[in-house]
Amino acid sequence: MTSATETAPAPKRGSLFGTRMREAGWGYAFVLIPMAVFGLFFIYPLVYGVYISFFEWGILGKAAGATATTQNYTTLYHDPVFHRALRNTFEFALLVVPLEMALGLLVALVINAKIRGRAFFRSAFYFPSIASSAAITTIAIFILNPDGLLNRIIGSDQAWFGDSSTALYSVVGLNAWTTSGTVMLFYLAALQSIPTDVYEAAAVDGTGAWRTFWRITFPLLKPAHFFVLVVFGIGALKVFDQFYIVSQGTGGPEYSTLSAVFYIYQEAFKSANFGVGASAGVVLFVAIFLLTLLQRATVGRAEVG
Amino acid sequence: MLQTSVAAAEHLGPPRARSAIARRIVLYVLLVAFALLFFTPFVWTIATSFKTLPDSAYFNLIPHPFTTEAWKSVWNDYDFKRYALNSLFLAITVTLLNLFLASLGGYAFARLRFPGREVLFLIILGTLMIPDQLRLIPVFVMLTNWHLIGNFSGYILINLVTAVNLFFMRQYFLTIPRDFEEAAKLDGAGYFKTYWRIMLPLAGPAIAALAILQFQGTWNDFFWPLILFGQGSEHMYTMQLGLAQLTFTYQSLWPQLMAGSIMAIAPILVIFLVFQRFFVSGVTAAGIKG
Repeated sequence: MTSATETAPAPKRGSLFGTRMREAGWGYAFVLIPMAVFGLFFIYPLVYGVYISFFEWGILGKAAGATATTQNYTTLYHDPVFHRALRNTFEFALLVVPLEMALGLLVALVINAKIRGRAFFRSAFYFPSIASSAAITTIAIFILNPDGLLNRIIGSDQAWFGDSSTALYSVVGLNAWTTSGTVMLFYLAALQSIPTDVYEAAAVDGTGAWRTFWRITFPLLKPAHFFVLVVFGIGALKVFDQFYIVSQGTGGPEYSTLSAVFYIYQEAFKSANFGVGASAGVVLFVAIFLLTLLQRATVGRAEVG
Repeated sequence: MLQTSVAAAEHLGPPRARSAIARRIVLYVLLVAFALLFFTPFVWTIATSFKTLPDSAYFNLIPHPFTTEAWKSVWNDYDFKRYALNSLFLAITVTLLNLFLASLGGYAFARLRFPGREVLFLIILGTLMIPDQLRLIPVFVMLTNWHLIGNFSGYILINLVTAVNLFFMRQYFLTIPRDFEEAAKLDGAGYFKTYWRIMLPLAGPAIAALAILQFQGTWNDFFWPLILFGQGSEHMYTMQLGLAQLTFTYQSLWPQLMAGSIMAIAPILVIFLVFQRFFVSGVTAAGIKG
């Protein structure tokens, strides 16, 4: 009796084990190629990039007889061009992100009000965000050239991208114009999730529109502010396309449009200093990683508080 | 409760109506200002693409004379025909591969149980943190060693499937009720058949959003084509690379440059007009992820 009840589940457990094995086998098979791609082209390069950064590395690979040194990092530390690239990148990010947020929020507020053609305007403002950066930049070069439309309207002959004192700010304007459409979409989604009774209460209290915005809407959008800040802040630190195209691949005039990623590109493909380029990549990655942690920590605290 | 709020609303009636009108005016002034800011560059671009070179120096919106010369010369003489084909080939190939691999992998992570599943999934999420600028040099060195530079297969290989797409598909599959699969299992369908016959058709909206966003991403990609084809492989240029090159070489050939820009944007504009809601849902999904 006892032996019968003990033996009965045994074959069942065996078949269950077989089913589990079969399921696991198919599971591994289905994720095999994605895992191989992520391992080979994301995780391995992370390690390999750090490795390259400690060697003298040219177009033909590691220099003959090279030993691991921190020479590339020393070179970066003393390279005024790298300092300039970092400064440009952070200045760009510090200017463009608040501008995108302000523009995106303003457009979102206008569209969120009950206006005619709301869907049309939402799409129209969003469109530059999904158009190619190369085309948008080419159009910007056309509009901002010394004989271009902008100068005709404001009566000037400024070479916006060709003058080292305005080039960076012109790219800031260009990116804010392009990207604020996406920021708008996030703010719109956030605005629509604010319960209407909050506003009804404010209306009953007779609070004006201006005060309602600053006292109610703006604070309630806090999660959206932080999300946009993190995502678009990191995006801004990786800027490349627009700087590359407006300067015709030079980063000029006078390094005014050289971003950090652009510096890595130039070290690798113009100077064949793969080692220095890789170490700049590591420095930038660490900087972005620390900023992400900092922002995550702030976001976490803001949500708790 | 209801009575008091009605009374309050009546009490506030007249001043609110006046301020409401003022608000409307401010709103529409802002709207027109934004519309001008966003539309003027595009309108000016389209107008210029139909101008002659001398005419493009003037401030007239209507081309005089109207000509499609710039379009023809960009398409034929400046080889945009080839660039368009290259871009189309890469965008379609990468999109199809991503659709298949991301949905298959997403299905496995959402439904199949296998040891290490959670760890592997965390690794995938972790790769989202690794930026392109760090991968740039090692990936370039690897592809050089494998003789895959200046070669479409190198580009396709590193873009076979993205972590974002796999994550997106997994999240979608998690929202599908298990009933359908249970029925299929009772019928004796295997895991691949269940994925192919049951799960994939149920994931229609996610598949559509992924396809559209991936096509757009690959079509617009400038960075990796520049790295992989930019070094003297002009016959492999994508639309975006070709346009940048044209901008560098013919700096004030505005009608051609504008026609080329419109060509580089046009397919995405058409897709956007037809499938708008998928763009918005894709962006919102990305927002939920973050």
